[in-house]
Amino acid sequence: MEPAAHATSNGGMIDILSIMHAEETKKIIKLPEILGVDLSITPPVVTLIIATLLICSLFYIGSKRKELVPHGIHVVVESIVLFTKETFVLDMIGRQGLHWWPFITALFIFILFNNILGLIPGMATPTSNINVTATLAIIVFLSVHVQGVVKHGAIKYLRGFVPSGIPGFMAPILGPFFFILELILHVFKPFALSIRLFANMFAGHVVLLSFIGLILMYKSYLIAIFPLALTIAIMALEIFFKMLQAYIFAILTSLYLSDAIHGGH
Amino acid sequence: MAGSLAHLGAGIGMGIGALGTGLGIGIAAAKAAEGTARQPEASGMIRTTMLIAAALIEAIALYTLVIAILLMSKP
Repeated sequence: MEPAAHATSNGGMIDILSIMHAEETKKIIKLPEILGVDLSITPPVVTLIIATLLICSLFYIGSKRKELVPHGIHVVVESIVLFTKETFVLDMIGRQGLHWWPFITALFIFILFNNILGLIPGMATPTSNINVTATLAIIVFLSVHVQGVVKHGAIKYLRGFVPSGIPGFMAPILGPFFFILELILHVFKPFALSIRLFANMFAGHVVLLSFIGLILMYKSYLIAIFPLALTIAIMALEIFFKMLQAYIFAILTSLYLSDAIHGGH
Repeated sequence: MAGSLAHLGAGIGMGIGALGTGLGIGIAAAKAAEGTARQPEASGMIRTTMLIAAALIEAIALYTLVIAILLMSKP
């Protein structure tokens, strides 16, 4: 019994964090280290690869035959793509943001598949790892600012950080102050974005493992019924939260892109 | 001693964080229910707005959770 080995490390209490860490860093295929980065295949990486293959095959099969009246997988793909177009692009950014449609769709589908695949027993959730969410947030951060600079030019985009309408004599003092404030705000955004997704996914697993841990603590079949029933209920709630988090990530991305395209304030 | 105090701080901090977040989501849900009762035809839009707001508020509790976990991992 592998988890029980960790269980007694904290005076009878279950050490949830060390169990989760041990599960996440288990090496399935050992690969060498390159420049201090361990390239071994761990369970989250397996889930990432499976999710990518699933998405690619779904979209390839779904969009292979172009029919006027879609049926089968074509319907699924078309409804996903039209949903992202309506809610994220047209509602949040408008017609000028239509070139961001593929990016936001890819982001939404990728996070959704990774979140949902983590619920299958035996698979790890890649998005409950801070490195994955931080990478996604950095991609969003870079694309937002590159979009802003391309659209308005570097000088005009940076000037947009300072609100217009500061009285003339106050401008030398308040201008730099607002500029630095806005700069901090922009730098903080990817942190908030990554920690939100990571903590939501991580918290779900901690709650599930806490209930399972009750069984390991009491070691009784009679007690085991209640945590299992609660676990099933929380699993159902988790499906909803995982969809919601993918939605939130995509909608915040489109909000930031909309700010960059329309010049913020 | 320091480790025990860190564990105590994690618990108290998580409690205070959950208190504020619970109040925030409660207010959001109450206002959404009020809005839906007053204007049932706008219920779809109100629900979407409330869900986004709830997820944003919930994230604050999760920041507290991250801090609590950092404190808990102190020996």
